[in-house]
Amino acid sequence: MTRVRVTAPRGMKAGSTTAGSATPGNGTGGSALTAARSAAASREAAEESDAGQVFVRSLIRSQLRLGVVVAAGFLLILAAFPLMLGLVPGLAESTIMGLPFDWVLLGAGIYPVVGLSAWLYLRTAARNESRYRDLVGDK
Amino acid sequence: MNPAVAIAAFAAVSLATAGIGFYGLRISRTTGDFYVASRTVRPWWNASAIGGEYLSAASFLGVAGLILLSGTDALWFPVGYTAGYLMLLLFVAAPLRRSGAYTIPDFTEARLDSRVVRSVTSVVVVIVGWLYIVPQLHGAALAIRITTGLPAWVGMVAVVVVVCVTVVAGGMRSITFVQAFQYWLKLTALAVPILFIVFVLADSGTAAVAEASANPTGAAPAGLYQNISLLVALLFGTLGLPHVLVRFYTNPDGQSARRTTLIVLGLLSVFYLFPTAYGLIGRVFAPHLAQSGQADALVLLLPGELIGGMAGDLLSALVVAGAFAAFLSTTSGLVVSLAGVISQDLFGGSVQGFRRAAVISAVVPLGIASMTGSLALAGSVGMVFAFTASTICPVLLLGIWWRGLTDAGAIAGMVTGAVLCGGAMLAGAWLSPGGTPAWLAQPAAWTVPAAFAVMVLVSRATRGRVPRTITRLMTRLHTPERPLVTER
Repeated sequence: MTRVRVTAPRGMKAGSTTAGSATPGNGTGGSALTAARSAAASREAAEESDAGQVFVRSLIRSQLRLGVVVAAGFLLILAAFPLMLGLVPGLAESTIMGLPFDWVLLGAGIYPVVGLSAWLYLRTAARNESRYRDLVGDK
Repeated sequence: MNPAVAIAAFAAVSLATAGIGFYGLRISRTTGDFYVASRTVRPWWNASAIGGEYLSAASFLGVAGLILLSGTDALWFPVGYTAGYLMLLLFVAAPLRRSGAYTIPDFTEARLDSRVVRSVTSVVVVIVGWLYIVPQLHGAALAIRITTGLPAWVGMVAVVVVVCVTVVAGGMRSITFVQAFQYWLKLTALAVPILFIVFVLADSGTAAVAEASANPTGAAPAGLYQNISLLVALLFGTLGLPHVLVRFYTNPDGQSARRTTLIVLGLLSVFYLFPTAYGLIGRVFAPHLAQSGQADALVLLLPGELIGGMAGDLLSALVVAGAFAAFLSTTSGLVVSLAGVISQDLFGGSVQGFRRAAVISAVVPLGIASMTGSLALAGSVGMVFAFTASTICPVLLLGIWWRGLTDAGAIAGMVTGAVLCGGAMLAGAWLSPGGTPAWLAQPAAWTVPAAFAVMVLVSRATRGRVPRTITRLMTRLHTPERPLVTER
């Protein structure tokens, strides 16, 4: 693999990237946009190389695994709510602050679980992506 | 209820909607503006707009009505509507934004490199959109009839006219502001009256809400199969709703699409507490509405029933305004996304074409709605979710996560899902409502796996048709945007 220096106007942070097919901005008319575009193109080329694809595939796998795990956990808790009401005698008939317990559980209690699952997912997904960025050397 | 109050409430909402729409007209100028608001909408605005668009007649009126009728079984509806967004966040939000497509057909065409897939997806999206607009118009008809005594068609026509004017004038940019405004209006319109009601009830010393298990209609509770099938439909149906998906393109990047979804989940969770409260209180204090077949009007009638006089009228006006905000926002969201699809496929994607397509998208369901009778609102919307879950959801999920999907597999799966689920819907409508067996009334539990299975099997059999661009596409869908390059 050859290292290609992407030319850019002074002050524009283009940096050097590992790529074979990056086309440097054509000397005189290289605007900031062209530089940015060719930088993006070179990253694309790097990602499509065999080594790049190993990282990409592992990112996809970890994001999918994360989604499935969070979804499964959420569905388990969801299924546990009616099971609990059915199996624990007297629970469905009990009241909280004058409200029937089964209504409070299904009508309000599930939403915090949804929110918590979403928040956990968001954090971990962002972490997976920043790890990928580190691997491919993106700033 | 005083008809003049209801008409004034409707007029106020329509004027506010049109007003914000025209304000938006001065900002949106290019085709890109019309479709996706140039992708520069802030997460909070965007999340409010998504909430505003998503909370339809089914959520505003139907959920409370269904809770009144069938008690805790109906609580699965709001739970499913919310949890569907969780699935959207987990599997679709960021990759779909990164695909850079404007509409679902754009996505499937790019992913599978096939014009035929695009056409099939477009047809499915248009069917889903029209099926979803119909219950909104039924809701409007019901609201107008109950609150003003005017003929039902006035409500439908009024909604279609206001939506057409707003969308034709401003496109997506103004729609974003309109929708965001309408989320908060809907929330206020449910929250303020119910708080008044709770105070009045607490003041008069009737804290007998624990009697909610009383069953006003004596209908049998839903079985385990029905609850599971309903949850499948709602969890996976949300993924494929066209007006929900188009919203994700207005986020600047994948991570902000995720953040927006998180905020949406919060907004939905807060919102659904209120229809639940209406249903619970209605079950105890207004069971006669269920017996007289007016369950869907519970939210509209409860403030007048429990709080009389001037205060009751004002609170009723607020609820009516919220209900019309629900009809208008969901309908306009659907019309925008349908118009996007129709205009790109039929009119070459020009701004003129978008306007013409918007009118088509709104007028056809008006025809369907005036020819069909209204079922329970939450139930008929549930059927639309089952249909999307069996058609668009498999193609999106497999398209995003499985390299092996082919154009032939996608088409076969979508057609299978559409035929099975559509057939079940038609058969259910043909049989008498009481005589429909559970597996026809709630088909999602078998149509969704069937669509997935056909899609996978046919893709496996046509392995050679996996597009050659797959590596680049998967990379684009799943890798974070490069921070230096700001896409516009």
